[in-house]
Amino acid sequence: MAEEIKTGCYICTGCGIGERLDDKQMQTIATRDGKAKFVKSHQFLCSDDGVKTINDDIKSEQLNRLVIAGCSRRAKMNTFEFDNIPTSRANIREGVIWVRPDNDESSETTQEMANDYIRMACAEARTMKQVAPSEEQSTINKNILIVGGGIAGLTAAIEASKAGYQSSIVEKSGKLGGFVANLYKSIPHKSPYNEPQETQIENLIKTAEDDRNITIYLDSIVSKTEGAPGRFEADITKESGASKTHKFGAIIQNNGFTQFDANILDEFSYKTQKNVITQSELESIAKKGKGKIQKPDGKGEIKTAVFIQCAGQRSDKENHLSYCSGFCCSTSIKQAMYFKEQNPDIDTIIMYDDLRVPGVAGEDFYRAGQKKGIVFSKAKVSQVTGDGDNLKVEFKDLILDEDTAISADLVVLATGLVANSGPDPYATPIELDADGKEIENPEVQKIDVTESVLNLQYRQGTDLPHLKNGFTDSHFICFPYETRRTGIYAAGPVRRPMDILQTKDDATGAVMRAISVIENSNKGRAQFPRSGDLSFPEFRKEGCTQCKRCTVECPFGAINEDEKGYPIFNEARCRRCGTCMGACPVRVISFANYSVETVNQQIKNCDMPDEFDEKPRILVLACENDAYPALDMAAQNRIEYSAYARIIPVRCLGSTSVSWITDALNSGYDGIVMMGCKKGDDYQCHFVKGSEMAHERMAKVGDTLESLQLESERVAVHEVAISDIQTAPALIEDMAKVVEKVGMNPFKF
Amino acid sequence: MSDMINQYRNNFLKEVESKVEEGEWVKNCMQCGVCAGSCPLGDAWEHTPQKIFMMIRAGKKQEVLSSDAMWMCTSCYNCIVRCPRELPITHIMHGLAHYAKRLGLAPKNNPTLKFAQIFWNNLTKTGRVNELKVGLSLYFMNGFVEGIKTSLKMQKVGLNMIKNKRFSIAEAWGGHSVKDKSGLHKMLKKAYDLESARVDK
Amino acid sequence: MAIATNQTILIVGGGISGMTAAIEAAEIGKNVILIEKRPFIGGRVSQIYKYFPKLCFPTCGLEINQKRIKQNSGINILTMSQVASVTGSTGDYEVVIKTSPRYINEKCTACGDCATVATSEIDNEFNYNLNKTKSAYLPYSNAYPQRYVIDESVIKTDEGKKIADSCKVGAVDLSMQESETTLKVASIIWATGWQPFDADKIQPYGHDRFDNVISSVEFERMMDPMGPTSGKLVRPSDGRDAKNVAFVQCAGSRDHNYLKHCSRICCMATLKQTTYITDTYEDGKADIYYIDIRAIDRFEDFYQKIKNKDNVNFIKSKVASITEDKKNKNPVLNGVDTEGYHRYANSYDMVVLAVGMQPAMDTSILPKDITINEHGFMENNDNNGGMFAAGCAADALDVNRSVQSATAAALKAVQVVNSQS
Repeated sequence: MAEEIKTGCYICTGCGIGERLDDKQMQTIATRDGKAKFVKSHQFLCSDDGVKTINDDIKSEQLNRLVIAGCSRRAKMNTFEFDNIPTSRANIREGVIWVRPDNDESSETTQEMANDYIRMACAEARTMKQVAPSEEQSTINKNILIVGGGIAGLTAAIEASKAGYQSSIVEKSGKLGGFVANLYKSIPHKSPYNEPQETQIENLIKTAEDDRNITIYLDSIVSKTEGAPGRFEADITKESGASKTHKFGAIIQNNGFTQFDANILDEFSYKTQKNVITQSELESIAKKGKGKIQKPDGKGEIKTAVFIQCAGQRSDKENHLSYCSGFCCSTSIKQAMYFKEQNPDIDTIIMYDDLRVPGVAGEDFYRAGQKKGIVFSKAKVSQVTGDGDNLKVEFKDLILDEDTAISADLVVLATGLVANSGPDPYATPIELDADGKEIENPEVQKIDVTESVLNLQYRQGTDLPHLKNGFTDSHFICFPYETRRTGIYAAGPVRRPMDILQTKDDATGAVMRAISVIENSNKGRAQFPRSGDLSFPEFRKEGCTQCKRCTVECPFGAINEDEKGYPIFNEARCRRCGTCMGACPVRVISFANYSVETVNQQIKNCDMPDEFDEKPRILVLACENDAYPALDMAAQNRIEYSAYARIIPVRCLGSTSVSWITDALNSGYDGIVMMGCKKGDDYQCHFVKGSEMAHERMAKVGDTLESLQLESERVAVHEVAISDIQTAPALIEDMAKVVEKVGMNPFKF
Repeated sequence: MSDMINQYRNNFLKEVESKVEEGEWVKNCMQCGVCAGSCPLGDAWEHTPQKIFMMIRAGKKQEVLSSDAMWMCTSCYNCIVRCPRELPITHIMHGLAHYAKRLGLAPKNNPTLKFAQIFWNNLTKTGRVNELKVGLSLYFMNGFVEGIKTSLKMQKVGLNMIKNKRFSIAEAWGGHSVKDKSGLHKMLKKAYDLESARVDK
Repeated sequence: MAIATNQTILIVGGGISGMTAAIEAAEIGKNVILIEKRPFIGGRVSQIYKYFPKLCFPTCGLEINQKRIKQNSGINILTMSQVASVTGSTGDYEVVIKTSPRYINEKCTACGDCATVATSEIDNEFNYNLNKTKSAYLPYSNAYPQRYVIDESVIKTDEGKKIADSCKVGAVDLSMQESETTLKVASIIWATGWQPFDADKIQPYGHDRFDNVISSVEFERMMDPMGPTSGKLVRPSDGRDAKNVAFVQCAGSRDHNYLKHCSRICCMATLKQTTYITDTYEDGKADIYYIDIRAIDRFEDFYQKIKNKDNVNFIKSKVASITEDKKNKNPVLNGVDTEGYHRYANSYDMVVLAVGMQPAMDTSILPKDITINEHGFMENNDNNGGMFAAGCAADALDVNRSVQSATAAALKAVQVVNSQS
């Protein structure tokens, strides 16, 4: 039985609202048009008294929907939160009185604006449902799967244990310690940052091995991963083939990096000269000799060692790395110190372009290296050749501005790192035909030789998406851990190049995220950016045409398909952006408190003056995180915009259903402005692809406009950033001018 | 590329470290160039301090020690104040000049070098500077004709100095001296021996 | 305010690091107290116009974090507050906090009536004093808490009374006094951040004498459409277009005379700031004077992108001095290009000093056994007990790495709390 909806509508007259607007009129509107059961005005609604009034009424009148008319939904957010009662905020302060001039001439349209926001809020509240927590996470597993047993994995496991969480380390090789286990010493992590220090990796391995919270699988890989945060199921397969399924709450992928292949560096004769080695090979030699470094060809002592920085890096040559691996400069300083430790008379020359030892420790270490007599030369090395005993390094000294050469006994190449990411799910974009079949693009060759790391059984690929240069980063500056696969976090150099100290920090942070996803999935709460959101996508199977748009467009790969092609929503993987909802052509996907209907009702419940009133209506759909705050801030600064605009915040422009646009045009709106975030490589959409999807969809709105014989200028999609405080209102003004030019929409009734 | 063997090796750098006053600082230069830019006489230099330091690291002994760069230093200390790495650049430059002179590599006709030598010779004779002789030696440093010309040009200054008792014509016949001249000479010899022992070690 | 217990995590500093740590801990149900010296949280990043390398806007991420904080009852924020003393040990610290009066209570609706009646003006700290703000002010549009502040200077004046009278909701309280609170907490995260190195101290650069020599942080404010020049890229001396701009790297950093450490962010910040010029003016031009360009990992791609522009030049040189051309107030950069040997005396419309990051932590209040390195940063190690440094309290870090560091620090604090129960 459908519950009886009892809406209470509260109109705040504080902050000048009462002086500018007729609250009695709004009260009438709320009752008459908004069907509110109970309406009150209050001169200071956010005060203790105001909130108490609402709470009392909720009890006495059994209100189950609320409309708060006053300030923006972004203000006094927690003040107007009532225990699971769907609440809509009519923004008549920032959205009306602050953006309209206070004069007689505009008072009528200003009041109309406020009245409409009351109608819209009442309609939204009526259509919203109470959020009932998902039942998906009835039993959750709190263990963390850690893929990779290097310094990051060991750190993650130990840190998780200290917080009381169990974990399993899955290591592909036969031993723990990864790259660091190969090092003789590490760069210093303690002030005064002047000497190489012990890596302590043996201690770390022992700590992990002795910890009862940590299970270690050596010679093992993750051959299959299914599920969602809180209920991941992973098959851990031994080299022998034996495999077992284990349950996990979250996953950290920290499988590190592979050395760049120096064999392609012909100019440095790496392939042909025994005494040309990489930094990592030098580490092995130093470790083996306990600090004493033997010449690789065994002929005599090393008297001069030359380090060539950026070998195969920071280079646009084919197969070279375009990026900087970050740690090689300090590594060369450290390794030059190995020689100085062995014998201060060994000459060590580091040839660099930019010496990249940033931060506090870096600069100290650089100075310490110089003090020990390491020679630094800003140089461009052209080639290394060998004549049996000696190597000849030819270079241009960039300071002395001359081409020159030196002879050396050993040349060390600072070749950087290549991330051990799995294959990028988006290397070849999925395209669907009209029937929901994947279009095979013959021009894109699907040869990805990279082995999968996680073997995710996800609709959108087996592994974490790459960002750039093969790293599995998310490229969120503010939220570096948020990958596009909820509950799976990348840590260490697989995410971006980093040194040991940073890697340890990174692994520790990743554990924090893993614990957070576990604890929140447990309660059905969403992860960043809609942290704590209890709503989740619901789907009406009867209406679904198995078009698969939702499963393909979900920016987080949260939706799988069953064998018939129906979507399977994994709530704990879902970030609640609503992109699936916007994608669905048959409108069967919704959230309890945010749906095609909640917005549609707002669109339809605006009062639509007829064509001859000369009062156009402009619908603005604004991203709630960027465009909407920008408009609020414009209001704070009293930047005016058209009284004909009606603004509806959306979770993400990606959740915009094309039906909103067609329905709005059909019901008489004269112009539609959509404001989403920047898309593309440097996207600013917090749902990664949402804004892009919206732009794509809206590109097709042209056909609808054509069929209605409406001008295409009536619909505009813009990229708006939160700082566009002046631009955002200007875009609304622009649309007002467009409407003035092309005339009113004839479809008003 | 015959002396490739010694290039960028620490040979010369080490030599500078042990034999040049404050030479051990040279390796700490990070080639920022602020010394070069801060020097008020910068325009006149063949090599800037920072470049000299790089040349030392590159093992260019001949070029460094025969450079006139360090002879241009007027000890304004701008470079020391500005150096982000605390290098006592002024002192290093003087040290290098001194070392070059000692090895006989300093540029032969450098006026600063000549002046310094004349001044030193004059001073160490009696322990007091004989202004008249120093002046005249300088005027005639580059030959008789030049000397006459300069003397005439400076005539007015000289007369004024005499009038103000800044120097005396009597200096031409000996001049003033310290009380214990032989003591001074002993002292200077001792200092020279000590310095030689250090440098020639 | 919620009662602090031995389950509570205290976070000192409400910048991006402190906010992150607070959110991370609170979102798994921990009780967090976040204290901030300034009247709003968001810290230095709220004063930055754009982030590198995406050229996106800091307010965007701050908005998300603010929303997470608004929704989380586990986070209590004390603004205008500082730690006065700390005693105790892991799991059981006693912290005394001093709170300065805001003269506005939580009833404030940010309606702005107080600012309307305020007549006197004070230096606008948010804009690095490049302009003035009213004596009753909201630090910036998106400031959180959205609550005005009344400046000390008007409290005992008629203006103060007028301001108090203007408030219809009784939010102005002129009787507020500095107060002290003592808290018991389990763990402390020091997220005290950084302050821009005072460019005036670099005398040869004339920041204090020449109008058209500005600091990098001032440049950020200048570009903000709501900033002191309304987003116009113009010379402070005469408002003319600043089209030909020089950037001086390591202004204060990597220098024994000022800050010995490398501040890490300035190279990228400058590369970013060149886009302000080249994006604003088609004929804009930027010269970067540098020692080493430290653009590690994928920042290198950004560096290459900028380097490939015809109108951005790189000169390997620490600028020796800046003088001013008296007739047009153009700053003139003097120095030597060290690649080869080229002396220059180059004239510009404006010069931006890429100032370094100075740790902002007052180390005198810390217990003696806390490890502070010679540069004033707190070093995380086991001797520090239940105290952890996050973000720029630990090292000169960019935003991405500050968040990383803060997330790690949150876990360390959670470990302390979890081991209490």
